[in-house]
Amino acid sequence: MKGLHLSLNQTQRVRLDTALQELQSLAPAAASAAAVTVADTIPVNQEDNILKGHGTVDQDGEVVATLCGVVERVNKLVYVRTLQARYKPEVGDIIVGRVIEIAPKRWRLEINFSQDAVLMLSSMNLPDGIQRRRTAVDELNMRGIFVENDVICAEVRGFQHDGSLHLQARSEKYGKLERGQLLTVPPYLVKRKKQHFHHLMQYNVDLILGCNGFIWVGEHVVVGEKTKTTGDQQKSSTEAENFTPLETRKHICRLANAVRVLSALGFTLTVELIIETAEASASSNVEINDMLGAEFYVQTAEREAKRRADLLRKKNGAR
Amino acid sequence: MEYVNPLTGFRVDGRRPNEMRQLKGEVGVVARADGSALFEMGNTRVIAAVYGPREIQNRGQQVNSNEALVRCEYRMAEFSTGDRRRKPKGDRRSTEISLVIRQTMEASILTHLMPRSQIDIFVQVLQADGGTRSACINAATLALADAGIPMRDIVTSCSAGYLCSTPLLDLNYIEDSAGGPDVTVGILTKMDKVTLLQMDAKLPMDTFENVMELAIEGCKAIATYIREVLLENTKRLECQRG
Amino acid sequence: MLQSKSFVKKTKQGRIQKVVREHYLRDDVYCGFVPCSACDAAAERKLDAAAAAILVVDTNVVLHQIDLLENPAIEDVVLLSVVLDEVKNKNLAVFNRIKALCTNKARRFYVFANEQHRDTYVKDMVGESSNDRNDRAIRVAACWYQSHLGESTKVLLITNDRDNKRKAIEEGLNAETVESYVRSLAQPGLLDLVVVPTSGDVTMEDAEDHRPSKKKVIYNEHKPMSEVTSGLRCGIYHQGKLRVNRYNPFEAYVGSESIGDEIVIHGRSNMNRAFDGDIVAVELLPQDQWHESKSFIADDDEEEEDVHLAPNSADDAPRNTSSTQSTVGSSAPSVSSRPIGRVVGIIKRNWNSYCGSLEPMPMPAGSRGVAHALFVSKDRRIPKIRIQTRQLENLVNKRIIVAVDSWDVLSRYPSGHYVRTIGDIGDKETETEVVLIENDINTRPFSTQVLACLPPLPWTLSLEDLSNPNRQDLRHVRVFSVDPPGCRDIDDALHCTLLPNGNFEVGVHIADVTNFVHPGTPLDEEAAQRGTSVYLVGQRIDMLPKPLTEDVCSLRADVERLAFSVIWEMTPDADIISTRYTKSVIKSCAAMSYVEAQARMDDSRLVDPLTVDLRNLNSLAKIMRQRRCERGALTLASAEVKFEIDSETHDPLDIGMYQIREANQMIEEFMLAANISVAEKILKYFPLCSLLRRHPSPTKEMLEPLLRTASSVGLNLDVSSSKALAESLDNAKSNDPYFNKLIRILATRCMTQAVYFCSGDLTFSEYYHYGLAASLYTHFTSPIRRYADVVVHRLLAAALDIAKLPPIFQDGPQLTGIADNLNYRHRNAQMASRASVELHTLIYFRTRPTDTEARIVKVKANGFIVFVPKFGIEGPIYLTPRGDKGGDWVVDEVHQRVTKPGTNISYAVLQTVRIHMEVVEPQPHRPKLQLTLI
Repeated sequence: MKGLHLSLNQTQRVRLDTALQELQSLAPAAASAAAVTVADTIPVNQEDNILKGHGTVDQDGEVVATLCGVVERVNKLVYVRTLQARYKPEVGDIIVGRVIEIAPKRWRLEINFSQDAVLMLSSMNLPDGIQRRRTAVDELNMRGIFVENDVICAEVRGFQHDGSLHLQARSEKYGKLERGQLLTVPPYLVKRKKQHFHHLMQYNVDLILGCNGFIWVGEHVVVGEKTKTTGDQQKSSTEAENFTPLETRKHICRLANAVRVLSALGFTLTVELIIETAEASASSNVEINDMLGAEFYVQTAEREAKRRADLLRKKNGAR
Repeated sequence: MEYVNPLTGFRVDGRRPNEMRQLKGEVGVVARADGSALFEMGNTRVIAAVYGPREIQNRGQQVNSNEALVRCEYRMAEFSTGDRRRKPKGDRRSTEISLVIRQTMEASILTHLMPRSQIDIFVQVLQADGGTRSACINAATLALADAGIPMRDIVTSCSAGYLCSTPLLDLNYIEDSAGGPDVTVGILTKMDKVTLLQMDAKLPMDTFENVMELAIEGCKAIATYIREVLLENTKRLECQRG
Repeated sequence: MLQSKSFVKKTKQGRIQKVVREHYLRDDVYCGFVPCSACDAAAERKLDAAAAAILVVDTNVVLHQIDLLENPAIEDVVLLSVVLDEVKNKNLAVFNRIKALCTNKARRFYVFANEQHRDTYVKDMVGESSNDRNDRAIRVAACWYQSHLGESTKVLLITNDRDNKRKAIEEGLNAETVESYVRSLAQPGLLDLVVVPTSGDVTMEDAEDHRPSKKKVIYNEHKPMSEVTSGLRCGIYHQGKLRVNRYNPFEAYVGSESIGDEIVIHGRSNMNRAFDGDIVAVELLPQDQWHESKSFIADDDEEEEDVHLAPNSADDAPRNTSSTQSTVGSSAPSVSSRPIGRVVGIIKRNWNSYCGSLEPMPMPAGSRGVAHALFVSKDRRIPKIRIQTRQLENLVNKRIIVAVDSWDVLSRYPSGHYVRTIGDIGDKETETEVVLIENDINTRPFSTQVLACLPPLPWTLSLEDLSNPNRQDLRHVRVFSVDPPGCRDIDDALHCTLLPNGNFEVGVHIADVTNFVHPGTPLDEEAAQRGTSVYLVGQRIDMLPKPLTEDVCSLRADVERLAFSVIWEMTPDADIISTRYTKSVIKSCAAMSYVEAQARMDDSRLVDPLTVDLRNLNSLAKIMRQRRCERGALTLASAEVKFEIDSETHDPLDIGMYQIREANQMIEEFMLAANISVAEKILKYFPLCSLLRRHPSPTKEMLEPLLRTASSVGLNLDVSSSKALAESLDNAKSNDPYFNKLIRILATRCMTQAVYFCSGDLTFSEYYHYGLAASLYTHFTSPIRRYADVVVHRLLAAALDIAKLPPIFQDGPQLTGIADNLNYRHRNAQMASRASVELHTLIYFRTRPTDTEARIVKVKANGFIVFVPKFGIEGPIYLTPRGDKGGDWVVDEVHQRVTKPGTNISYAVLQTVRIHMEVVEPQPHRPKLQLTLI
């Protein structure tokens, strides 16, 4: 478990072990049965004319896994879904990335993929919001939009012919992210959903679950306001105006720590779970910095085990 | 010196000639790496970290843009041997072993699936007690699998030697420094192919075959163990994910 | 299989460095008890169910009571690995004996790896000495055995350590001392084998009672080991192996690498209880004391010299540095600069068991009890050994074996214990056995494993051999052999064919022993261990089993045999045009003796092809010999004797010098040529791992006695090279017909022995064979009786690509080890032969007092040494009664002459004297040959 190298005392270790054990027992048996490692043969019915998908290879007529993961079968397609791995982009994914280089007409972004992603100047809305051809002046002003190390939210546009990955940011909701924290988690913990932007009203916080495992927790921004605040003439006044209240900052930290704890424990990150964890910490008067202590990890694991057990019971009862 | 006690048949550390040292493998030990592993063969303890596939840092090194570039760096920690000596980076031995590991792993990694990217493997010996290069290869295999890098097969390596007219599996430091032949074998376990074979001594052909056979047996035993570790890890991740 | 628990051991080495080693503990170490059901069924089992008790012995019991353990009365012994390790570290010789016991299938000795067993492994405790820890490990293992085997079987811990015994009994174990256990067996003879503990208790006091005056310290204490090591490091002390002079046990040499010279040690007190072969630390005496060598010898009662066989080389001859030093006068300082030292510590003991007899002594009155006796070894280098026995009357006139146990500073002699009896003194069988034991010659019959390696008998030539492309069929060639009469192990044969171009094809065919003796088999290992066949008078101890020696390998007449051949094409001038090596099949047409062959050649009426071949060979051999002598080969002479043995009693009937004929020289010449050819071939292919034979050039110092003798009779010898020496020997003539031979005999004994060596160990210039004046030499021609030849056969076969080179040749140290063993065995075999001849000479003269002629070879203060050509023996003649040193005789060292002043009686070296030879018994059962002047 990445990052989970805690100094646990004896009881904590026992509790954590029982909780994890329970999680294991709660998981559907199919999940662990379908687990494969590199060079394992995947049993298939040869007459089915199956299609070999990701993570498989044909070796002497056998389908053999090339990755560690879980075998998934969709109709005739057989593929291995990896767990611990780099991000594998799909068109339309909402991702969070960090600018690492400004090149002619494009920005390069680190998005936890095997290459850097490209955001073309032409693929994003300009601050003035007008659709038009990009001029040389625009090119010179690229640094006015994003500079190195800026955190950006965008959408996967697709692969170009040369194999490079392109992004686009053609909506108001995309763009630079400020006043918050960027967290990186293994991409398999983020499920593709309809909604990746979440405005947590009660905290006045935005939570963006990037498909690439980059998670943004930051002060809520009213869409449309953002463009105004970047204006030069208001610069001096905005600093004071946009001072993030302490309360909000605390909320950001609490949520970020919840994400850290959950990802370290290897739980799928959903908004509900993150909020629940943050709430739980707040209600049991756990200080923000103590959230990363051993005790809170154990509690979270236990809570999750209980939650899943309840879920399972409900499901069975419904049946 | 007697490396195999003629009366009891045991080696200096109490193993029989065809026995391996105790194995231990653990993945996910380096937080920032994409994949990492700790691997122990008795007192030999090695840590491996894999970064990538990621954007190529130095395009000059790229040979073929359709394939991933694999790089490897081997290093002995200063505290890894009995005498604490500053080990210069990039000495001949490390360079050679880096190359050996890189080539062995390249044979297994499906580089064509990750074009325009590079994979960095860093292995460091934390404790040296013979068979370091074998342990490094085994650790690297674990780390690569942990990083979710597609591989043809599990590569494992094991050494075997020939002392006191007996083929010995998995030499420890005392046996290694006895000056006898030391055969290091790396194989693709499922495909039953040899990817690494090193020996720097003279050995008659038939003896050599016996020794190599023994080393291959060792590799297979290690592969079984490595699969166990990986499968167990995969199951755990999947279950916790929920 | 692996036990998951692992321990680490920490040891410190040299610099402060922590070494961490794994130590695996396991649960598959079994008890070896036959009826045990808990252990794995397939495990080896040795301990008998019917045993009264399972014995667990501790280290000191093994170290000191090995003779007892070897006795078949002791069985069902468990040897713990901790004990074996300790024994190995302390005494390798004992370890090898116990190892042989453990591997012997007939004995019920079981090795239990207690250090590897998870229940018997013992962790070091803080503050515990390693001895205590090991004792504890032994007790834990014994406890384990007791609980493992249950109450029905008694487990008995045997220890002489009082403390250990007490602790064992406290822990609920059965424990006994060796003595009480042996007593309980009720076999009184066994008690003599028990070594009495020396730990300063009652027994020692008893022994001292005999000589109350000697209760003073006789020897210096040995320096503690730590002091010795630090002394060695800073160069105060010198380490080396102590070699006692075979002819003067009060003089010893220590070859020291740090000095690069031999350090001489005079006298027992300077030797300080060191035995021959011990590794010792020596301190040099101040340089001004280096000259007073003589005085030390005078301290002890000088032993008289025996009549013995005339020596064949410098190694056999007495070393006489002291006499060179006393020659002194003005020219001395160059000679006398040998360092003299004394032993301060013994690093490694070389204690063994020794053959000999008890010193005659009056029978104590109440002879039932324990008696003390002094044992005199046959090997004069060994001091007398004090033993205790309960069976004195049985041992007095017997040859017995005694082992050394300890040597206290208070005691003049070491103390030991009786091991076994060989037989009556003077009895031929007994004395022969003594000779064999003394020379470490293995006379045991070949084991079944060895015999299993033999080809199926009766052996005949198979089609397979014939169809082998590497084997040439030479059955049509007229091959014959010439050997001593009665020779059964014929390993060489020859052929000589006239080629159409007028040249000769000469072939030397050697028995193809390696076709039957394959590397790595028990047969091969046994042969390698024995090294050589040993020839005693009327007896032969074979290196290979009899069927091989006398039949399958022996190139007998009229049977098809496998051979390894060297075939030359030679011009009639004996120039070698080409050399060919091949494996072959031959069929010898005649196996002649030297006499027969000589007779055929000499009989001018015979013109049959065989005789013609012989004559051709002879003429070639003469040319080759001539050429060899021109190159500087030495024609040396030895005084070999031959016995005629009674077929019934095996007693010698007649004795005479061995006669050398032309036929002998002819065969010798071709064997030399074959050996040289083979040496060239194998060295070319295997420059690093060939087995060769070299003969070091004698040093000036070694030739000194020869030069002195020669100059005293007015002969000038040039010893600058072997060629010069050969020439001056040829020129040494006088009107005395025997003079030349005598000089050659004297020259021979100045030479060192030729030795085997591995070519990788020396540089090319050191390969030189001085005696043969050959730059390369090896042994190829007698594989039936010498293992070196077997090795060379394998090398040659590999060089010809017929066979693979066995892996052993890649292991340099192991190859050197083989060469060393061969040298050792070769030397011992020679010593044994000589001893056997001496023994038979004694038997011969027992009934035949003889008057004969003798030649003086060395002049001494109180007499001279004579050489009896007819019988090849040498011995002292005293001019004055023993004990009276010189007195009225004056020695002239320069002219090697002893004169009685006032008279004109004088004796000079090489002078002929008439002597009387007779066997006398100065003490009962101690016969010796005495020479007196007539």
